[in-house]
Parts: sequence; structure tokens; C-alpha cells
Amino acid sequence: MLQTLEGVQNGPRLSVTTPLEEVEAAAAATDVLVLEFDAFRDGRGFSLAAVLRERGYAGRLIAAGKVLPDQARYLRRSGFDAVELAPGADTAAWARMDQAFSGSYQPAVDPAPTIWQRRRAASNDRDLQALADRLNRETEGKAASDILKAALDPALGLRIGTISSFGAESAALLHIVAETDPNVPVVFLETGQHFLQTLSYRTQLTKALGLTDVRLVTPDANEKATLDARDDLWKTDADACCDLRKVRPLARATVGFNALITGRKRYQAATRAALKPFEVLDGVLRINPLADWDADAVEAWLEAHDLPRHPLVEQGYRSIGCWPCTRAVEDDEEARAGRWSGMDKVECGIHLGKRQVAA
Amino acid sequence: MYRYDEFDHALVRERVAEFSDQVARRASGALTEDEFKPLRLMNGVYLQLHAYMLRVAIPYGTFNSRQMRRLAHIARTYDKGYGHFTTRTNIQYNWPALTDLPAILSDLADVEMHAIQTSGNCIRNTTTDVFAGAAEDEIEDPRPWCEIIRQWSTIHPEFSFLPRKFKIAVIGAEKDRAAIRTHDVGLQIVRGEDGGTAFRVFVGGGQGRLPHIGQEIASAVPAADLLAYLTAILRAWNLLGRRDNIHKARIKILVASVGLEAFREEVDKHYATLRLEDLRIPEDEAERIKAYFAPPPFEDLPKASAPFERALLADPDFARFARNNVRRHRQPGYASVVVSLKPVGGVPGDITADQMDAVADLAERYGFDELRAAYEQNLVLPHVKLDDVPTVWRALLEAGLATANADLATDVIACPGLDYCSLANARSIPVAQALSKRLADMDYQERLGPVRINMSGCINACGHHHVGHIGVLGVDRKGEEYYQITVGGSPDEQAALGDIVGKSLPADEVAPAIQRTLDRYLQIRAEGERFIDTVRRVGPDPFRDAIYETLDAANA
Amino acid sequence: MKIVTANRLSDGRVIYAGVDNQPVERLDQASTLDDAAAEIVLAEVAARPDVFVNPYLVEVQDRAPSGRDRLKERIRAAGPTVGHSVAGGVG
Repeated sequence: MLQTLEGVQNGPRLSVTTPLEEVEAAAAATDVLVLEFDAFRDGRGFSLAAVLRERGYAGRLIAAGKVLPDQARYLRRSGFDAVELAPGADTAAWARMDQAFSGSYQPAVDPAPTIWQRRRAASNDRDLQALADRLNRETEGKAASDILKAALDPALGLRIGTISSFGAESAALLHIVAETDPNVPVVFLETGQHFLQTLSYRTQLTKALGLTDVRLVTPDANEKATLDARDDLWKTDADACCDLRKVRPLARATVGFNALITGRKRYQAATRAALKPFEVLDGVLRINPLADWDADAVEAWLEAHDLPRHPLVEQGYRSIGCWPCTRAVEDDEEARAGRWSGMDKVECGIHLGKRQVAA
Repeated sequence: MYRYDEFDHALVRERVAEFSDQVARRASGALTEDEFKPLRLMNGVYLQLHAYMLRVAIPYGTFNSRQMRRLAHIARTYDKGYGHFTTRTNIQYNWPALTDLPAILSDLADVEMHAIQTSGNCIRNTTTDVFAGAAEDEIEDPRPWCEIIRQWSTIHPEFSFLPRKFKIAVIGAEKDRAAIRTHDVGLQIVRGEDGGTAFRVFVGGGQGRLPHIGQEIASAVPAADLLAYLTAILRAWNLLGRRDNIHKARIKILVASVGLEAFREEVDKHYATLRLEDLRIPEDEAERIKAYFAPPPFEDLPKASAPFERALLADPDFARFARNNVRRHRQPGYASVVVSLKPVGGVPGDITADQMDAVADLAERYGFDELRAAYEQNLVLPHVKLDDVPTVWRALLEAGLATANADLATDVIACPGLDYCSLANARSIPVAQALSKRLADMDYQERLGPVRINMSGCINACGHHHVGHIGVLGVDRKGEEYYQITVGGSPDEQAALGDIVGKSLPADEVAPAIQRTLDRYLQIRAEGERFIDTVRRVGPDPFRDAIYETLDAANA
Repeated sequence: MKIVTANRLSDGRVIYAGVDNQPVERLDQASTLDDAAAEIVLAEVAARPDVFVNPYLVEVQDRAPSGRDRLKERIRAAGPTVGHSVAGGVG
């Protein structure tokens, strides 16, 4: 609160009509400065205070002269500590007007968080589980595009991104995303171990769908130099390799998002059998518009919309990750059977909670 | 369009409470009228000739049917059943009682509206291209940036007691449909070196007693730095601008007196010590706001529409409306429809409560629930399916809103003038009405093509007379109304101030003189030349001769 | 001769100082005063800012405004000359 003071305060006293340079010089030589308003409409005092504060003046700053209670918060937010009042002034009105607003949009000298900052905090602190439950209820039986639209409603204030492997089935989800809003960021984990076909497919699909914000996320160079300088960690410890090349980069890349769209589907693996369109994982809302799609549904969608196919599909690859840990599958195998084949591993970890990864 | 969240709602409600507190202190004597006046002005409340006037903000001219219906409700309940759209894309009411204002403001807050900073020496309502989000030539929708500026400038601690008012306009296309160079700051979205959004910044434009065209102070300020740059400009002016003479207090006078280079240095000096990180627009906030302005769910339609084409052939009146008031849209099969508030002999910008409801219905049924207010004092339905345009036109006809004169000679901008305004020297409305009746023949107007005729009742230039192709300024000559005529002004990307052609004319001479000016244009125009092109080619002399010829003959 | 006019605080309407300095709405009810009396009435109503906002003097002849601002004062007295608010028009 702006302090209200009675009686003439000590300290150098300058009119707000004084040029900035002189005010700065006076401030440099004192730890109490009184700025006197000759008329309440003369708003120079607000800029003088703001400039002094921004340029490092840490002493006391007192407003005096013709100021109105209605200006209390303008004074406080511009950097004044106190106002000198004539005897008998209505200090109740000063207190009331100082606190007339519970928030301010724009940053100023006072340290209180702005509405912009509070919006961000509110969207971080919100009860995402309750939101996920509500959205699951509201979108029950709805099409994938409706699920996506519900998530993209600006009123929810979510900061949404998509993660895509640009793999065998990715075109369906990306197509629905692009139809809804081609500017939604798409995060691609550039592990450095992708099939060349995946990289050219990424370029082709990005262009075909008109996606405007595809972000390539690479492993941290220092981490990689320490853990996998020779690019063969996959041979000895696939989990550590996934952690280095996928889990950690994704965590860094998605720090600005509180909601991620994924293309995961229940049919893909036993670990995904209970998947719902909306779920919360490590404090992030996961949106899975295709949760109840099966392979035929994907195929039908790709067919109906004439979408470009991953070049490896016709060679029998139905789930595509990094080249060392992916093989083609036989017709009678599960789609993901070709991932980490021969290992006791079905997920890379980006879709598991932190606790499960650690376990 | 933007929708309030809990923070926006709280702020507007708190502003209503604060204003009610101020009204109560004025009534109790705790505030004098001199103290109360700047406070009420900051909430859009004037004391005019006959009553208080309340100016309600329509931020960047974008609103919806629910808001329009609430404006109609206010007109019926607290006023005389009508409202008046202004050249700042706001709406004003001429007859509210001070004691009703808290209730009116509360009614407005219900529909996410307010009157904050529609007057006073603060940052005013930001205006933009009325076709934003619909125009074919736009590189980016400017409205999210207008909303960011609205939030940043609302109840700004440092910039609420400025030397004078401060107006900002933003466009997203090369073509300027928002007169940005007549603003204190004009912003044009361009592509920065990195391909990102940036702003070309004009400063020091303005009309009024001493008009200036804005000068380019920066060619590409990155979007993230926009608020910091605006802060530096405002701070430089707030500290150095004149406060001793109301006519020399605007930023245009400071820029003109110190020169653009010196002013730029001053801005750069402040920019250098700003806490940039704090003022950098948070990217997620910018994204959040942009999401509200996503295009509506357009259908995939063919470019041509059979019902539209049929109506063109069937009804010449519709064909005329389509020629003049229906604008191309970037989405095939859609159009923007201009709703003229300039009926023959009417008051420019006035609209009755019933008409407001009618337009609200049309926006809701045929226009994705979106409405725009144009600074030319018209309304626009920005996204109408071509198939529906004939139906919309018939409904407008029924509501008395189908005058097919958008951008033609009778689409006159006029301020309220001495019929309402306590600052005016002369009336504007009757002169505009006389002109409108005289030029009413639509075939004649179409032959003339686009002509912008603007009228102000005093030197404050609310009617934009300086930048009318033909401008009319009311002056007081020993208690009599006279009108000074200018020719060759232009509000667009080729902004120019009109030349005063000669001595002022009495009221009843204005319309005939303007008609002679237009007739002279028809005589001397080259093939395909618009009125303004001809003026630019030949200068004002032939028009001066036309304006004064009968007067000279009479005096000879 | 002169009259004293102002706008009323509560609703902004045009008022004049009438009998006993009471606010009256019609010009023909305003007290017509000589210069000295006008200054006194002006000071008296200025002391009542809860009713009279920005009071000032208007020159009149035969109860009609006659000074430099006569047009403005006639419009104040009679209402807008055009449009939706003309006396007898809408509302």
C-alpha cells in the first residue's frame, strides 16, 4: 500500500516539472526524494518515478502537492513509497482507491504479479485432472476433430503442443491437427537415429498438411558426449538411449506446454488398453484424440484423405522408431512387435509417468 | 473474438465500483468539478450541451450480437432509443443521467464491455482495419495485437495523466484502411528479418488544430518488443511534451518541433534503460490471445454463388448494393457486407435501438456472430456467405439500413457538431444532411465513384476533415456558422492533408459548392481516374474555381 | 441583460437560475438580471456545485440569447436542431 504521511516531509523537494537529468542528479545524492505535483493532471511525476526506479534509485520516493486519492495506485505502481497529505485529508479514500483493483495487466515498478503472470500461474496450477474428467465426459462418443477442438478452445487457456514421430500412422493425427489449426506446434524428437525415410517423410508431410510450426528437438550435446559419444548406447542399454534421445529432450521441449496432443491408440499395446482421450501425466494434460481408433480406422482415414504414406510402410514396417530398434513385422504380429524386438521393452518412456520410468 | 476471463471480468467490475465511488464523492462535495472532470472523462463521460454523453468502447471495432443487443437495451432504457457510432469505432449515447451511469456500466460489464479510456488524456481505444481477418491482402490479423495493446494500456500507472490524448491504430496489410498515419502512433504489421511478426511504426500523426502526417520512426520492431517500444515513445513524450497549451500538447507537436531524428534518439535512450524482460510480451500470452481470433469455421464453397448471381440479375437495387457495399473476402464463397449508417438525409453514424437489434440478428444468423464498427461510421458484417447476401440485403432493406452508398459521396463522416457538442463552433449534421439530399441520386453517385467527404464542426477535427478528399470545417464568424472547404486530403497509405481552397462559405452554400466540385471532376477526369487521382494530377485550382464561380459571379 | 445558466449535476440537463436562484429548465423561466445582479447570482449558484455545474452568464435580449454564442445558447435552450433528438421527435 502507498503510505500516507501527514506534514511536510524532509528531503530534497523537486517539482515534477524539473527536467529528468536534474531529478536524476538529485536522486543520486539522497536517500529520500520528494516529488511535488503542481497539478494532479501533470503526469510527468509518474514517468520520473518509473525512470528513477528502473535506473536503480533505491531510496524513498514521496509524492506531494496536488494529487488525488484516485491516483494512489498510479503513484504506488510507478515507484512512489508514500504520499504527503495536507492535514485533514481523507486517508480512507486514499486507502480505498489504492486497493480499487485486484490486478493489473501491465508490468510496472511494483513487484505484484501482473494479470499476465497470474494467468500463466493459474493455468499451471489448475486442477488438470478435473479438467480431463470433464472433457472426457463432454467429448464422449465425439469424433477426433471434436475432441481436438474442445482442447483448443481458447477459453481453457491451455498451452498446447503436439508430439509426433512422423511414423507409420502419424499422418492421421497431424492431418486432423492441421485441419483444426495448422499453427499448433508439432514437436519431433530428432534422435539422430531415425531412418532417412522418416526425415524425408517429415518434410513431405509438413508441406502437404501446411503445418507451420514443426520443431525439431535434439539430444543435449553435452549429455550425448558423456553418455553416448559413439552412438551405440542402444546396443548395451536401450532404456538409457531412449532416455538420452527422447525422454529428456521432450521434457525440455515441452516445458512451455501444459497440454500435449499424442496419436496414441488403445489397440497399439497392452500398456495403452485403458487410454482415454484426456489424461494427466506429470502435470501435463495429454490429449489423445485417436484413443479409440484401431488400425483399420487409421487406414481408412489415410485412404479417404489421400494422405502421403511413410515410405517404410510398404516394406512391412507398421510402427516406426529409431532404426537400430525397429524392424518390420509379419502380418500376424502386433504393430508394435517390431519395436525393441527381442527386448523386454514396449515403450520408450515418453508416454510413461516419471515414476514408472524410474521403476 | 476475444472473450473475458476471470481477470478481465474482475477488472471491469472494479472499474464500475471505482467510478461509482467517484460519482458519490462528486455528489458529496469531496471532489470538485475540476477534479471530477478528468476522472469521468477517463471513463468516457462528457458533459455536453444538453446532457451527459457516454462513450462506450468497442475495442478495435469488433463485437458480437449479444453486445449489440445490450447496446440497444441501453439506448431504450437509459437514453432516447438511439446511439451514435464514432470515428474511433466507439458508440456514444447523448442523454444518460449521471445517476444512471453506474447501472449502465454494470449492464455493459455483463456483456464484456466498458467505457474505460474512451476519453481523457490517456491511451484511447485502439482502432484497426474494419476488414481485419477477412481482407485478401492481409499478412496477419492485427486484432490480437490490438487486444494486447488494449490490455497493456488499460489503467496504465505511468500513462493515464498524459499531456493529451494518445491514439494508436494497427493494420495488417499494405493498404491502409485505418488511417494509421493520422494517429499518434500508427502500426503496420510487416515481416521482420527473421520472418517473424514485426511492426513498422509511424509517430506524430494527428488531426486537430495543427494536423500532421505520421513519420516512420522504426521500420521493423519485433513483435515481442512492441510494448517496450511503445513505452519508450510514451515516456519520451510524457516527460517532454508541452502542457502549457492544449493545442500544442499532442505528440505530433513534440515530434515536429524537435524533429524526427532527435525524437528517435530520445526514444532510444529510454528504450535502452527499460526493463525489457518485463515488457516483453509473454509468448504464451500472445498465443493465447491469438487463439481467440482464429478464423470462424468457414465452409469449403465455390467462388461463385448461384443465389447471389440470380439476385444480381433479378433485382437492380440488389445489384447496386452488391457493387457498392459488398466486399471481396479471402475465403471463397464469402463476402464482407458494409451496413451504411448514412441514409439520405439521415444523421451520419446514428442508429436506432431497433436497427441495432436487426443487425445483431443478421450477425448471429448469417455472420458467425461477428460485427465490426468502421471508423467511417458504418457497420460491417465481416463474414457472410455469398449465398446469404441477398437475404441479408432484404433484411437490411426492411430495417432501413440498405443504403448502397459505402465509400460514395453521401457516405459522409460527420461529427455531432454544435447540435450536441460543447466544443463545436458550428453544426455539422444539417450540412451533411443537406449534402446527402442534394447528391442522393444513386446513378450520379456511382458515376462519381469513391469520394470521401468529411465534416467537422470545429478545429478538433473529430470528423476527419483534414483527410477527406473533400473536407468541410465549421467555423464561427462573429456568431454565424461558416464552413471552410479543403480539397485533396487522404487518409490512406498515401496520406495527405487537404488544401484550404479559399474563404469560408455560409451553411446553405456548402452542398451546392461541393456538387460543383464533383461536377468539375466529372468534366476533367481522365479515363479510370478516381476523384482523388484527379485532384492529385491537377491540383486544387480547378476545384477552387468551381467552388467560387457562382459566388464570384454574384459578387461581380 | 443577462441570465445565469449551467448544467444540472444529476442528469446534465440545461438549467437556468430562476426565482430565488432555483434551477429551472426553461429559458423563459430564468431570471433576467442586470450586470451587477447577474454577478451576484452567478457567485451564489457557483456555491452550489451539487446542482449547478460550470455556471456562466449568457447575454439575452427579449429573453433570447444575443451574444457571440447566441446560436449555441439557442440550441442549448431548444435542443438539437436535427436528428433523433429534435424536440417532438423520438423520445
